[in-house]
Amino acid sequence: MVVHIPILIIISPLLAAFLVLLTRKYKIILSIASLIASIVFISIQSSRILYGDKITYHLGGWQGPLGINLVVDELSLFFSLIVLGLGLLIVVYSIPERHYGRTYYFLLLISLSSMIGVIYTADIFNMYVFYELLSLAMYLLIAYPKTGVTLRASFNYLIMGGVGLSFFLLGVGFLYAMTGTLDIFHIAEKMSVAFNSNTRMVLMSFVLIATGMGIKIAMFPLHGWLPDAHSMAPSPISALLSGVTVKIGIYVLIRVTYSIFSAETFFTISSHAILMVLGAGTLLFGASMALVQTDLKRLLAYSTINQLGIVLIGLGIGTELGLIGALFHVLNHAIMKSTLFFCAGIMIAEAGTREIKGLSGFNRQQPAITFAFVIASLGMIGIPPINGFASKLLICLAAIEAGYTVLVVIILVASAISAAYYFRVIQVLFSSPLEHSPIPTHGEGQVVHRGNFFRAWPIYILTAGCLLLGLIPALGISLVKPAVGLLLSHVVP
Amino acid sequence: MNPVNISLLVCMIGLYGVMSKNNLIKKIMGLTIMNGSIVLFFISIGYRKGGLAPILEKGTTGGNPTTIFVDPLPQALMLTAIVIGISVTALALALIVKIYSKYKTLDIQQLSKER
Repeated sequence: MVVHIPILIIISPLLAAFLVLLTRKYKIILSIASLIASIVFISIQSSRILYGDKITYHLGGWQGPLGINLVVDELSLFFSLIVLGLGLLIVVYSIPERHYGRTYYFLLLISLSSMIGVIYTADIFNMYVFYELLSLAMYLLIAYPKTGVTLRASFNYLIMGGVGLSFFLLGVGFLYAMTGTLDIFHIAEKMSVAFNSNTRMVLMSFVLIATGMGIKIAMFPLHGWLPDAHSMAPSPISALLSGVTVKIGIYVLIRVTYSIFSAETFFTISSHAILMVLGAGTLLFGASMALVQTDLKRLLAYSTINQLGIVLIGLGIGTELGLIGALFHVLNHAIMKSTLFFCAGIMIAEAGTREIKGLSGFNRQQPAITFAFVIASLGMIGIPPINGFASKLLICLAAIEAGYTVLVVIILVASAISAAYYFRVIQVLFSSPLEHSPIPTHGEGQVVHRGNFFRAWPIYILTAGCLLLGLIPALGISLVKPAVGLLLSHVVP
Repeated sequence: MNPVNISLLVCMIGLYGVMSKNNLIKKIMGLTIMNGSIVLFFISIGYRKGGLAPILEKGTTGGNPTTIFVDPLPQALMLTAIVIGISVTALALALIVKIYSKYKTLDIQQLSKER
């Protein structure tokens, strides 16, 4: 039983997904139970992994390069904790929406299970398959309300995501042609030989995979799909997309750059400089576009682009401190952005409009939710006692340490811009309500009750997480540090 | 010109179709062409000149180490990739049907004007 834990973590939501299709009554209980089961499984193993033990599971008993391995190490543990924790909260948050049927929970569970698949698998083609499965579920979830805008957003995402994953697969093909194996760790072993004999093909595969993942994580010139998809989707799905799904792209990028190509090759071909430049571009572009948005969720979507730029800069710096900052920012951004999208879901449902102007006086109606929104947005800006500050500070320190002072200036400018757009929203929330407040126009005239238990508690938990990680950043860093140690230990001799 | 280069060329043709065509169906055709080119790419990686089908039977290998086999792994991978490609295409076409019934147009320029 204990031996099979890595596969059970993937199987449990996947099995529940198909069981959900059979039942009408127990869909929510089933999905929550399966996710809790996965969390229990992972926490049984987590202490062992954090002590530096790597769990390898051979699927079907096929060893080594022949079969597919599941590998749970510090990095995958970190990302899978984000996926499972937020996934559970997202399921809880979707409970009050009565018109979300069985297919919604089916797709949600499929997407969560395939995310864990992407994270755990050590076979790069298997990674592609899981990623494509995840993307299919995401396209469908975005289009779930079946309105015109969601269909268009989903279609745009499908086109961009399809091209991105095709690039990824092409890059995998190059890797296979060079090394003759698909197992990540075996490729990494053979990479130094391949790099010396066949530099062009290594470069080609790196560029293809990085471009493919760049589309998935909305790197600056390839971000076109993100604002539509993230803002038009139903609110829990927006939180899933912004908080978790883009992080999977970052995970794959980290795995590929640091485990397969190894940190040294990564620096030799000076791709870190490219990542930094793209990160800075992403950062400034996202910030300045968010400034002009009038739609609340669209603003949050552009803010995601902004924050991903910071993560990319951290990855590009590539020192230990930079990587710690980047991974810590991944965790912080996942928590803060889900809080913001959850709050935005309640605000939009209460005010009946997506415009920021229509939210005036929300503070009087729901002080607790407003408080959570303010906390999370202060974290996004990077105000000291909240978690966003800690990770931004780490990345800035790493930039100074590595001698890229200009990056610090860029991060600070972008933080100032994000302060401008978040304070604009906060100011509206606290202003006096409009005279003619529009009548809430929910789908099928359904009123989501204020202070709904299932809606409010995920927000409170996440806000507590923001404050906790902000006050005691050592908690997050202790989770991230082993993963970074793992990444940098793969330096080719 | 070897098959690898041809497949990359076809891939670029598909990418051109995805990027520059205005009709949604044509975009999907571009995506399908990209998928097909990747299949060609993988198969040509695994191809060995004069190689046999990689089936172990009594007598085929015969202890003869010089027998050349085609690499079976890319072929197996491509079966999976083709299935995935088909499901993406099917989903895209389903979305197109829905979009058409809402907007009565498939032109992306006109669609972006609609609110």
